[in-house]
Amino acid sequence: MNDQWTDRLSEYVDGELANGERVALEAHLATCAPCRGAVAELRQVVARARSLEDRAPQTDLWSGVAKRIGAGQVVDIRSRRFSFNVPQLIAACIALVLLSGGGTWVALHKTSVATDTTFTSQADSTKWVPVAVWSGRTDAAIADLQEALRRNESRLDTSTVRVVRENLALIDRAIAQARTALAADSGNAYLNLHLADTMRRKLELLRRVNAIASAQS
Amino acid sequence: MPRQVLEVTLTADSVAADAALAASGDASAFERLYRAHVNRVHSLVRRMLDADEADDLTQDVFVRAWDKLSTFRGESAFGTWLHRLAVNVVLARRKTLGVERGRFHSGEDPLEGVSGRRETPEISMDFEEALANLPDGARQVFVLHDVEGYRHEEIAQMLGVVPGTSKSQLHHARMALRRYLDR
Amino acid sequence: MLTTIAAAVLATLAPMQGETDTTIAVPAGASLSVNNFGGAIVIHTWTQNRVKVHAEHGSRGSIEASLVGTTLTIKAGSRHGSPSVVDFDITVPVEMALNLSGTYTEIEVNGSKAAITAETVDGSIDVRGGSGNVILNSIQGSVTLADATGRIEVNSINESVELSNVSGQIKAETTNGDVTLWGIKSSSVEATTINGDVEYEGTVTDAGTYTFNSHNGDIQISIPEGANMTLTVATANGDIDASFPLPFRGTREKHRYTFKLGTGSARMEAESFQGDIELRRPAEMREHQREKEKEKEKDKDHEMEQEEP
Repeated sequence: MNDQWTDRLSEYVDGELANGERVALEAHLATCAPCRGAVAELRQVVARARSLEDRAPQTDLWSGVAKRIGAGQVVDIRSRRFSFNVPQLIAACIALVLLSGGGTWVALHKTSVATDTTFTSQADSTKWVPVAVWSGRTDAAIADLQEALRRNESRLDTSTVRVVRENLALIDRAIAQARTALAADSGNAYLNLHLADTMRRKLELLRRVNAIASAQS
Repeated sequence: MPRQVLEVTLTADSVAADAALAASGDASAFERLYRAHVNRVHSLVRRMLDADEADDLTQDVFVRAWDKLSTFRGESAFGTWLHRLAVNVVLARRKTLGVERGRFHSGEDPLEGVSGRRETPEISMDFEEALANLPDGARQVFVLHDVEGYRHEEIAQMLGVVPGTSKSQLHHARMALRRYLDR
Repeated sequence: MLTTIAAAVLATLAPMQGETDTTIAVPAGASLSVNNFGGAIVIHTWTQNRVKVHAEHGSRGSIEASLVGTTLTIKAGSRHGSPSVVDFDITVPVEMALNLSGTYTEIEVNGSKAAITAETVDGSIDVRGGSGNVILNSIQGSVTLADATGRIEVNSINESVELSNVSGQIKAETTNGDVTLWGIKSSSVEATTINGDVEYEGTVTDAGTYTFNSHNGDIQISIPEGANMTLTVATANGDIDASFPLPFRGTREKHRYTFKLGTGSARMEAESFQGDIELRRPAEMREHQREKEKEKEKDKDHEMEQEEP
C-alpha cells in the first residue's frame, strides 16, 4: 500500500493536518480500506506506546548511586548550605480537594474549622512517611553542632552563652509543640513542614553561634 | 544479601518534602525519591539508548539529580523535573556516542534488512524488543513522542533536526511497529 | 591633621588625651573594614575621598590603621594583649563599602550608598542607607535598617528586626523578637521569627514570592487592592482574619488554606503555628500604625512626667 496519503497518516492520527487536508484525507479514507486499516493500526501503536509499563532494573543500582553521592559518609555540615525554602514546598503541596463556590468573607476561627465537613483529601488517606524517618538526619546534624558548641562555649562570654541557651530552649519548646501537634495528625502536610522548618532554624542558630565562637580569639 | 527495600507510599506532599530534605543533604530522603522513580528513569534510558548502558546511565541521572537538587524550584512536580533531567542526560550521552547509526532512512521499513540485530528470524519479537531494534533516530523520536509525550518542535530541538524529520521518523517507527502489536 | 598612609604600612596613631583624630586619603573604590571589640562604631558619609576618624579610647588606648591595596582597616590597638574599648566616629566617602564588626559593639551607619556588612554579638545595629549587598547580624542586639536597596539580609537572635523604606531582595530573621517591614518595595521577601510578630507593609508584585513565618506570634500583612497573588495561610492554633473577601482557590486542608486573588501571579505564604494571621488593606494598616505611635508618644510623655521630681 503506497499512495499519496500513506506518509501523512501519522499526522492525521495526531490531529496535525490542516483543515483542508484533513477533509481531503477523510474523503480518501472513505474509499481506501488499506489506509483505513493503517490508521487503525497506527492508533493501536500509539495506545500501546502509552501503556508501556516501567520495569525495574535487574540489579539494585542504589548502592552505586549512594557511593557516588557520598551517602553514609560524614557530611561536613558547616560547608553545606541549607536551602530549605518553605514557599517552594507549600506551592508544591497544595491539597487535592476542590471546593466549589466563589468569594466569601473569611473570619475563620479555630472552633469553626474543627466542625467543618471532613474532606477526603489524598494527603489524609495515604500513609505518610513517619516523622522519625525524615527528621533523623537533621537530628544527627543538630546533635553534632550542639556538641561543637559545648566545646566552643568557653570562647563566648557568659551573657552571650545565656542568651544563646535561652533561644535554643525557645526553639526546643516550639519543636516540642510542633511534634505534639504532628503526633495527633501525622498526615498533615503543614505540620510536617512546620516541624522541619523549626528544626532547620535550630540548626542555623547552632551553626551561626559556632561560627562566631570559633572566630573569637 | 539483598538489601531490604524501603516500602513507603508516597504522596505529592511527601515527595516535595523529601526533595527539600534531600536538597539539604539528607541521603535517606534522596533514597526514597530514588526508589519511587528509578523504574521510570531506567525504562526511559533503556528505551532511548540500550539495555547495556541503561544501568550506568540511570546512576548518572540520579547522581546529577542529587547535585542539581538545589536548583529544583518546586514549581513542577519532582517527577517531571527528574524526568526532564534524565532526558537531558540521555541526549548528552547520545552526542558523545557521536556516530548516528542508520539514523534517518526514508521510505523503507526500518526493521527490514536489520537481520544482523535479530537472533533468528523465526523468533517473534514483542513490542519492546521491536522498539529496541529500530534504528536509533526513529526509535528515539518514537520514545520521546509516543511514550514520553514531547511535541515535534521540542523533539526537533533536542535531537538537532527539523520538525518535519521528526514527523517522518515517527511515522516510520509506527508503521514498522504495527506488526508487533500483539506480542 | 591629614595623613597619607602608604600601602601595607601599619601605623599606630599617637593618642592625645584619650582621643585620636586623623584623616586618611583613600583611592576611589576603596572599602573600609573596622573591627572593634567593644564600644561603638558610628559611620557618617561625605563626598570627599578621605576618611576622617575620631576615636575615644582612654589614655592607654590607641588605634591602628592600615591601607592595603584598596582596603582601609581600622581597629583598636591592644596593649598588653587585652582588647580595649573604643568609640569610633568615622566619616567616609558615601560610596565606600563598609565591613564593620565587633563583639560588644554598637554599630550605626548614616547615609551610605554602598555595600554594608555589620556583625556584632552584643550590640544593636542601626543603619540608614546601604546599596548592593547589605548584611546585618547581631546576636543579642536589635537590628534596624532604613533607606536601603539591594540584596538585604538582616538577622538578630534575641531582639527585633525592623526595616523601613527598603527595596530589593529581602531576608529578615530573628528568633526572639518581632520582624517589622514597612515601606517595602520588593518581589522577594522572607521574614521569619519564632517568638514574635511579623508585620509587612509593602508591594506585592506579580511573580514575586513572599514568606512570613512565626511560631508564637501574629502575622499582619497589608494586601494592596488589585494585588495578583496566590496566598496560602496556615496556622495550627490561631485565627485567620481578613478585612476583605478572600476567594477560595479551591484548595484547603486542615490548618492550611489557599486563596487566589486576581491572576494569582505572586506567591505569598503566611504561617504561624500559634498566632493569628491578619490580612489588611494598606490604608487600614497605616491607620493602625499611626494609632500605635500615638500610644507610644503618650507612654513616653507619661514616663517623662514620672521622672520629674
